[in-house]
Amino acid sequence: MAATRRLQKELNDIRQSGLKSFRDIQVDESNILTWQGLIVPDNPPYNKGAFRIEINFPAEYPFKPPKISFKTKIYHPNIDEKGQVCLPIISAENWKPATKTDQVIQALVALVNDPEPEHPLRAELAEEFLKDRKKFSKNAEEFTKKHSEKRPTD
Amino acid sequence: MTETVPTLTAPISLSTYHQLSLTVESANIKNSGLFKPNPYLQVIIDDKISRRTEVIKSTLHPKWKEDLTVLVTPQSQLLFRLADYHSFRKDNVIGEKRVNLLKVLLHCNGKCDNVELNIDLMKTVSQENSSSVSGEVKAAELVILLDGLRVDPSILTQSHELLGESASSGGPLNDGVRARIRIRNNAESAMRSIVRSQNLRPPPGPPPLSNGTLQHGGPTGAMGASVPMGAGGPGAAGPPGPPGPPGPPGLPDAAGPSHADADAAAPGVAVVYANPAEEPLPAGWEMRYDVYGRRYYVDHNTRSTSWERPQPLPPGWEVRRDARGRVYYVDHNTRTTTWQRPDTERLARFQHWRGERRHVVAQGNQRFLYPHPQPPHQPDSEHDLNAAGSGGGSGTSVAVPGSLLAGASGPAPAPPAGPPGGPPGGPPGPAPPGPAGAGSVAAPDDSLGALPAGWERRVQPDGRVYYVNHKNRTTQWEDPRTQGQEMSALEEALPPGWEIRFTEEGTRYFVDHNTRTTTFQDPRPGAPKGPQGAYGVPRAYERSFRWKLSQFRYLCQSNALPSHIKITLSRQSLFEDSYHQIMRLPAYELRRRLYIIFRGEEGLDYGGVSREWFFLLSHEVLNPMYCLFEYANKNNYSLQINPASYVNPDHLLYFKFIGRFIAMALYHGRFIYSGFTMPFYKRMLNKKLTMKDIESIDPEFYNSLVWIKDNNIDECGLEMWFSVDFEVLGQVIHHELKPSGDKERVTEVNKEQYLQLVTQWRMTRGIEEQTSAFLDGFNEVVPLEWLKYFDERELELMLCGMQEVDVDDWQRNTIYRHYTRTSKQVLWFWQFVRQMDNEKRARLLQFVTGTCRVPVGGFAELMGSNGPQRFCIEKVGKDTWLPRSHTCFNRLDLPPYKSYEQLCEKLNFAIEETEGFGQE
Repeated sequence: MAATRRLQKELNDIRQSGLKSFRDIQVDESNILTWQGLIVPDNPPYNKGAFRIEINFPAEYPFKPPKISFKTKIYHPNIDEKGQVCLPIISAENWKPATKTDQVIQALVALVNDPEPEHPLRAELAEEFLKDRKKFSKNAEEFTKKHSEKRPTD
Repeated sequence: MTETVPTLTAPISLSTYHQLSLTVESANIKNSGLFKPNPYLQVIIDDKISRRTEVIKSTLHPKWKEDLTVLVTPQSQLLFRLADYHSFRKDNVIGEKRVNLLKVLLHCNGKCDNVELNIDLMKTVSQENSSSVSGEVKAAELVILLDGLRVDPSILTQSHELLGESASSGGPLNDGVRARIRIRNNAESAMRSIVRSQNLRPPPGPPPLSNGTLQHGGPTGAMGASVPMGAGGPGAAGPPGPPGPPGPPGLPDAAGPSHADADAAAPGVAVVYANPAEEPLPAGWEMRYDVYGRRYYVDHNTRSTSWERPQPLPPGWEVRRDARGRVYYVDHNTRTTTWQRPDTERLARFQHWRGERRHVVAQGNQRFLYPHPQPPHQPDSEHDLNAAGSGGGSGTSVAVPGSLLAGASGPAPAPPAGPPGGPPGGPPGPAPPGPAGAGSVAAPDDSLGALPAGWERRVQPDGRVYYVNHKNRTTQWEDPRTQGQEMSALEEALPPGWEIRFTEEGTRYFVDHNTRTTTFQDPRPGAPKGPQGAYGVPRAYERSFRWKLSQFRYLCQSNALPSHIKITLSRQSLFEDSYHQIMRLPAYELRRRLYIIFRGEEGLDYGGVSREWFFLLSHEVLNPMYCLFEYANKNNYSLQINPASYVNPDHLLYFKFIGRFIAMALYHGRFIYSGFTMPFYKRMLNKKLTMKDIESIDPEFYNSLVWIKDNNIDECGLEMWFSVDFEVLGQVIHHELKPSGDKERVTEVNKEQYLQLVTQWRMTRGIEEQTSAFLDGFNEVVPLEWLKYFDERELELMLCGMQEVDVDDWQRNTIYRHYTRTSKQVLWFWQFVRQMDNEKRARLLQFVTGTCRVPVGGFAELMGSNGPQRFCIEKVGKDTWLPRSHTCFNRLDLPPYKSYEQLCEKLNFAIEETEGFGQE
């Protein structure tokens, strides 16, 4: 497959770089177009847990951007109930074939750590985030404790 | 892969889906109350699929005679439930019985041919304790007829142990089910089965595919061969075994055997429910886990796999198999069939398509090319267009080169003498203005290079040269190599002593050296009178398009055949009837006058009926359920070939048919409903496709190519090689752009070549065979050489005609970026639009939106590649720039021009230059 070599290289680079915020990367070697991994945010209220995401690369990668979805439920203005996330770096207008997956992941981690209520997918959470940060944090933390995965111990 | 081959045999035999005709005949209900029930029968197969008969009012002896065709496996459980219909409260169950189909099959030796079942329907006395068998009483007797299911008895024998009893063939069935075989001379049921087969056929067409029946055809059965499903990679090399999930090749190797064993050992668990809360899987689907514990779904009907959970079929839909065991889907709502499983998106597209239908005929009457006398005028090609041309013959007494079939030695009727000094290949009959006026057409000597494939040059006994088109067995005088060029010869042919010059602003004018005068008026005969090109149009568009059209019309007429052909169709089966009649005829016959008859509708075809036929049929071929064409992007109305069309086993025949049909539309001067993408027209014209062409069909892909072109790629680790992939129906198709392309890295040095190859591939991937079939069909009726007069936009105009463009509606529904409604340039723009004629407006629209047509609902419904997208004018660049367009966003980049005149000039130039424009 045409995308295989590129993805193989990206995967190796990411694994070697030992990102703290993206761990436990699982890729089925016979289908390198689908990756799973654990987002481990640093900022409260998400620093109480970890969130599994899936990255799906199209067959036409890198002509077309990958798609990212959350497998773990998360209380976040930019991530909807279905786990869909709107990430500018992989939108149709901004995508460049030279964009690397680790950049995409870092953009995602940054978004998780610091929500962007100006471009919400869940307007009600964005409103809460802006108007009552305390309540938002409390809700998000409870939600995280209830639904998120365990953070890696090391 | 090989080891999985034997394991699939077992599930195929006992858990393969078969079609069973189940006729609910009648019932006798024991009287149990004051009121007679309103009975109906519900048949539930394997607790999943439920079908029911109509309700018959107030009777103890209902007679339905209703045929329910169902999909079953030999080991299906059929639950018959007779219920009493109530309009306001819950229906009351009268009685029910579960029947094990395997037992019935064993009883009748695997052949359910006209087997009558007499079933006692039981009712539990104590409703609280329905599991208690002892509390059941017989409530009714039901008569069912089973037909059309045959299973190899040898398969059944292995199933004995499955039943846990030694049921012997022909043995009695158990409690309360009696079976007997009805003698098959029952005229009525025979009739019924004929009617049935006529009503709902598999999707259109004579399926020529003849590999493998499913009953015995192990893993290498029909679907494996006709639909390549192997997922590439290691698995694909093996024999076409069980299809793997689209992503992970080779996974089934690991998962396959164990599952298949489980299937054989424990039938009835073929369908695994992951989660009882989820909807059950559709019939024939199974959920499995790969070695990584990920779920995937196996569709045993089509022998394909998918990561996504299949949606159950929508209400009114049914899966069936045709005589060759191929799966298709019946939509009882619309009484149509399709090869592709209906999903939400496809149904939405179908709804959209059906929605258009109401407007199709109305639209047909609004299209025109030259609205000379009245706006809704239809161009009767013979008269109207000839008149529009620059002189020419009467159009009636055209001499016709004979068909080769006649066995004559050449063109049959001797034409009047050609124009003096004219080329030997001068046209028969009335001389067209082109060659006659030019006198400079090259002799068909072979300085022109070889003739196009399928053409031959011959000489009559009198020395006159003519050309044979072996593809459709016709002859013509014109040299196919020069047909498109004669025009430009004429274009330059001014009267002696005249010269063309351009003013400083680029406006064309004419110098008459004979009288030492100048004029803006074209002195050539046939040129439209009056001032033209007022804003410096490089080549007066209107005139040349009309001229080109008249040339094309001339070719059509001079190669017409006498008499007419009758095509008789019914509206219900328009596509199929048309297909059969058009493909049955030799292609050259399709040049005769058409006489279309809609069955059951009186009326003579003086043009109106065939106009309607072209319009209706052209809309019909776009039916998304045929899988032949698709919209260019999600909401673009232009059509392109669907790379997944191969799910329709006869797709190539259909593309050939559509090619013939489209050629007929051009030949007979009729319009079709919806046009093709610009790249598709370019392909018809055999023009080279450029990177820019990708923008209109796949803007995302295009942007990436542009990025590669504009940036130094050596340091950004693109890891690209001369090979590419794409996905059709879940299958990844790999392609090397050149020999050993997998081993050659793309670098800054060779990227130009890479971009060229990728462009070529992107525009043709998955559609080459279909395109060839289309062009073959087209070429049989209208030689592609005849199109050389036109560019792709003119081709669309000719094929689709134009509509009146409502400028008020247009302006109302236009948005602006970096301009406002009252910006100078915007006001000028609308002033410019209003002073244009309709043809120009259509061209402007085409320039910006990619099509000259407006959606049925007007400009408010204009669509772009990502959904609704209004016409947009954006301020971009400097006044020295030309306007640009982004057809996928319906956006015009209009630089801030300094004057109205400048704006007109630049826009005119942009609209009329088709080549090389807008590419920076």
